[in-house]
Amino acid sequence: MDTVIDVRALSKTFKVYHHRKGFLGSFANLFSRKHRLVQAVAQVSFTVKRGEIVGYLGPNGAGKSTTLKMLTGILVPSSGSVTVNGYIPHRQRKENAKRIGVVFGQRSHLWFDLPVQESFELLQRIYRIPQAQYHHNVEMFDELLSLGDFFQTPVRQLSLGQRMRADLAAALLHNPDVLFLDEPTVGLDVVAKARIRQFIQQINAERQVTVVLTTHDLDDVEKLCKRVILIDDARLRFDGELATLRRLLSTERLLIVDYAEVYSDISIPNAHMTYQEGTRVQYRFSPEEISTAALIKAILQKFKIVDISVQEPDIEELIKAVYEDNLLLNPPANFP
Amino acid sequence: MKPRYLTCHVYLAFARKSFQKQMQYRVANLAGLTTNFFFLLVQIFVYTAFYAARPGPQPLNLNDIITYFVLCQSFLMLMPLWGTRSEIANAIKDGSVALQLTKPVDFQTYWFADELGKACYYLLMRALPTFLLSSLFFKVTIPQQPASLMAFAVSMTLAIFMSTSITITVYGTAFWTLDATGIVGIAHSIITFFSGMLVPLALWPGWLAQIGGWLPFEGLVNIPFSIYLGKITGFAILMAIGKQLIWSVFFCAIGRIILNLGFSRLVIQGG
Ligand SMILES: Nc1ncnc2c1ncn2[C@@H]1O[C@H](COP(=O)(O)OP(=O)(O)OP(=O)(O)O)[C@@H](O)[C@H]1O
Ligand SMILES: [Mg+2]
Repeated sequence: MDTVIDVRALSKTFKVYHHRKGFLGSFANLFSRKHRLVQAVAQVSFTVKRGEIVGYLGPNGAGKSTTLKMLTGILVPSSGSVTVNGYIPHRQRKENAKRIGVVFGQRSHLWFDLPVQESFELLQRIYRIPQAQYHHNVEMFDELLSLGDFFQTPVRQLSLGQRMRADLAAALLHNPDVLFLDEPTVGLDVVAKARIRQFIQQINAERQVTVVLTTHDLDDVEKLCKRVILIDDARLRFDGELATLRRLLSTERLLIVDYAEVYSDISIPNAHMTYQEGTRVQYRFSPEEISTAALIKAILQKFKIVDISVQEPDIEELIKAVYEDNLLLNPPANFP
Repeated sequence: MKPRYLTCHVYLAFARKSFQKQMQYRVANLAGLTTNFFFLLVQIFVYTAFYAARPGPQPLNLNDIITYFVLCQSFLMLMPLWGTRSEIANAIKDGSVALQLTKPVDFQTYWFADELGKACYYLLMRALPTFLLSSLFFKVTIPQQPASLMAFAVSMTLAIFMSTSITITVYGTAFWTLDATGIVGIAHSIITFFSGMLVPLALWPGWLAQIGGWLPFEGLVNIPFSIYLGKITGFAILMAIGKQLIWSVFFCAIGRIILNLGFSRLVIQGG
């Protein structure tokens, strides 16, 4: 399988200027040079092969959107290199644009004042989509996403779910090889999410479209991505199969305790408290450091409890663990 | 057979889209028409009183003046920064302008097409009705020579083109200021005054008229309307149109440069 996306030591540093407000301020801004530097992406490298669906994950402000912007030609990297389909996105912007589809979930790419259909027809012209392909695609997307319900409605009147469906279809009208999705399910209800996931899956399977998506919804990840890339604080933390990540971290367990009363100090040696709500407290621990039995004994010695249970962490917990503890800052040697 | 699309076809489609978008605001347009007419009335009353108070020869007679202001009100929305706020200003402010970069379009041509589509709308839905309506109520002169009508058409076309370029240039500064309101306000006053929209240059004191003549903005209003009124004739028409042409090319280039710099800044600084 051939490599579609190649990212090497990619970095982006923003200069953040101090913005003055008001009438005179807008003139002063023209000349003001005061700034500080924000490192949004640091030394990130990965490759993506044709037909893969990769989940690009990380907490708020990790640098996900910034990376996608560099992959789509919206931002110039500060250093490092990117190629998509062999093109350098910010240098060969138009060539790259012809072969990628982009959805930034927070924003519509469609024309706000136009009905969906007219936006699509403009896109047909922009990408010079042959009539037959256009009709075939519109028909297929209509079937999968029920666009017909709102095809004549101006975009500004669409619900969020409808808009996202329209945006997703619009990004695929020209049969792109690569699809970049930045939070494609943000703000959608369960049904709408399922529908979008199914659509992405089907497009990927039928057309071998490579998909890179960011999301905060771990259901998305479980349903769609075999491979995940984690970034945190601008740096790559993990790149590999979701299953590997789970195996790597599943040595950890969760202990959920309902105390009989609120204690001021409920710290337990060898267990890491991850959350507390009233008398309910959750700890994370590693059975290698302390056995479940020993831990429970330690708790019972000190406190009165109502209930106690042990859980294997779900993926959400795993990723939180990575974010919070920088568990993978120094990955083991055999790490992918 | 595969249908083929010419590139220019794409930008025509953009212009048409912009035209259609304006069509959604027909009620606002009607209100605007009324306002145009009201201001026209005020202007005409003021000048009628002014001329009555100062009998004797004037560079423009009352009839010329009335026609001049009818033209001003008709073409008002085609003047720089007068029409609905350009979409580019909002797109820059909310950052959505960056999304354009993910499409294989030339963003500069895109914004020109967008503004020109709007201009076509105002030409048909505002200039024409205002002019026809005003002709019913006031004595509006129509040029007798087909040649001067032709010259006016050429000159007005250049004026509109220049106006579009100026509008893009001014709104394009939002790439740096984020909110173009301040600069738009200043540019709007300067351009409106020096174009001759408030008072025709012929009535200005000599020194001011000279400054006005050196500035590009008389090419928006004063030149085309003076040609219409037959105040510029013969070789002077060529000179005047030449001047408009030079300034049109100038502002078109400046507009493109501003957008180019703005987008370069955007892809480096991320808006
Ligand atoms: N245009 C910009 N100018 C300055 N700083 C920026 C700019 N864009 C992003 N940043 C900063 O870069 C960092 C990464 O932002 P980015 O939008 O890539 O995060 P993200 O991973 O997409 O987060 P989220 O999950 O919240 O969408 C943040 O600290 C952000 O404040
Ligand atoms: Mg983001």
